[in-house]
Amino acid sequence: MARLKTNALGCAAALAFCVVAAASAGAQYPAKSEKQAAPTPARLPDGNPNWTGFWTPVGGILDRDFGPGFKPRAPGAPNPARAPAASRELLKSPYKEKYEQIQKDTADGKVTYDDAALCLPPGMPRMMGATYGLEILQTPGQVTMTSEYQAESRRIWLDGRKHPRDEDALPTYAGHSIGHWEGDVLVVDTVQTRGDLVIDATRLPQSLSMHLTERFSAPQPGILQDDITVDDPIVYEKPWTMTKRYRYRPDLNLEEYVCEDNNRNVSPTGAPSFK
Amino acid sequence: MVSKFGIVALAACLAAAAASPAWSHHSFAMFDKAKQVTLEGTVKDFQYSNPHSWIQLVVMTPAGAEEEWTIEALSPNVLSRSGWKRTSLVPGQKVTLLIYPMRDGSHGGNLISVTLPDGSTLGGGAG
Repeated sequence: MARLKTNALGCAAALAFCVVAAASAGAQYPAKSEKQAAPTPARLPDGNPNWTGFWTPVGGILDRDFGPGFKPRAPGAPNPARAPAASRELLKSPYKEKYEQIQKDTADGKVTYDDAALCLPPGMPRMMGATYGLEILQTPGQVTMTSEYQAESRRIWLDGRKHPRDEDALPTYAGHSIGHWEGDVLVVDTVQTRGDLVIDATRLPQSLSMHLTERFSAPQPGILQDDITVDDPIVYEKPWTMTKRYRYRPDLNLEEYVCEDNNRNVSPTGAPSFK
Repeated sequence: MVSKFGIVALAACLAAAAASPAWSHHSFAMFDKAKQVTLEGTVKDFQYSNPHSWIQLVVMTPAGAEEEWTIEALSPNVLSRSGWKRTSLVPGQKVTLLIYPMRDGSHGGNLISVTLPDGSTLGGGAG
């Protein structure tokens, strides 16, 4: 009887942890250390915030103690690379049915097509999930962001140029991004991304008509926040927003990641193989 | 009854976690995260490479036959930041691996951790 009680308590505790972990998704940015470093100087010569440096997703793999004794992510713990679950409720037909089938196949242990397994870049906005980290460089008239994952870069033009006309533009993985400062908030407008990309690893869809609006801000020194609004009337009932947070990590720098080097997961069907 | 509910709820919780692809460039649906297997064997090859690292491990079966296992681990950019080196594993070394096995029963898995001959442990990043 005593043993049964212990088991019941253990399960209840595990369940409570699971529920709490799921409920707290993205609610906080737990401090990696008591003292959070921030870029110096705090401002660039033009007066705008200085965000140049290497940043890692809050709650991401490089934000955790990953040495000896590493414990797998707790069940239900938030994955910062994912879009909020509420976005799935906004999917239109037939995207909704297709998406649900993929989730069912994944839950059943079936391995489905994944362009990332073929070493193709995530593109926008998935690259802002920045699995490992994000290097930000600010130069006059331009912000360059490189995700360590697949060394994918995007350029945000701050020089006053406009988007190319849609009929002239070749849709790309990163799309075409122009930005401007509103006080200490960098507002970025992105169009002309490819239509065959996905928003996150659950294969949440996007279309050629997608329009992204990002608002980059620093809610506290050394923490950068990107509020990404996805406006894609072909795929979703209405626009929705996801928030990414990054931690300044002067102790790290962007490491090389050449996906094509030893990709043993390639298969002719596009589903990751194992050999 | 409470216990039964707890187990069912926990199982649902674990299933949700299992459906989540790991920190990697491909789906890890091929691995069974409800099981953990311990392998003792000899390193045949260690590929410390992108997009993933690989360990070829030779395991002796109880019947005395050699069995080669293929174990997938995370990329050097992650492993190096958690204490791994190119020389952490070398051919001929006797090690103990903790893995999530393949669902289809083939001799493969996803590395949870490795215990080296000196007793120290390195995390493989599974999860």
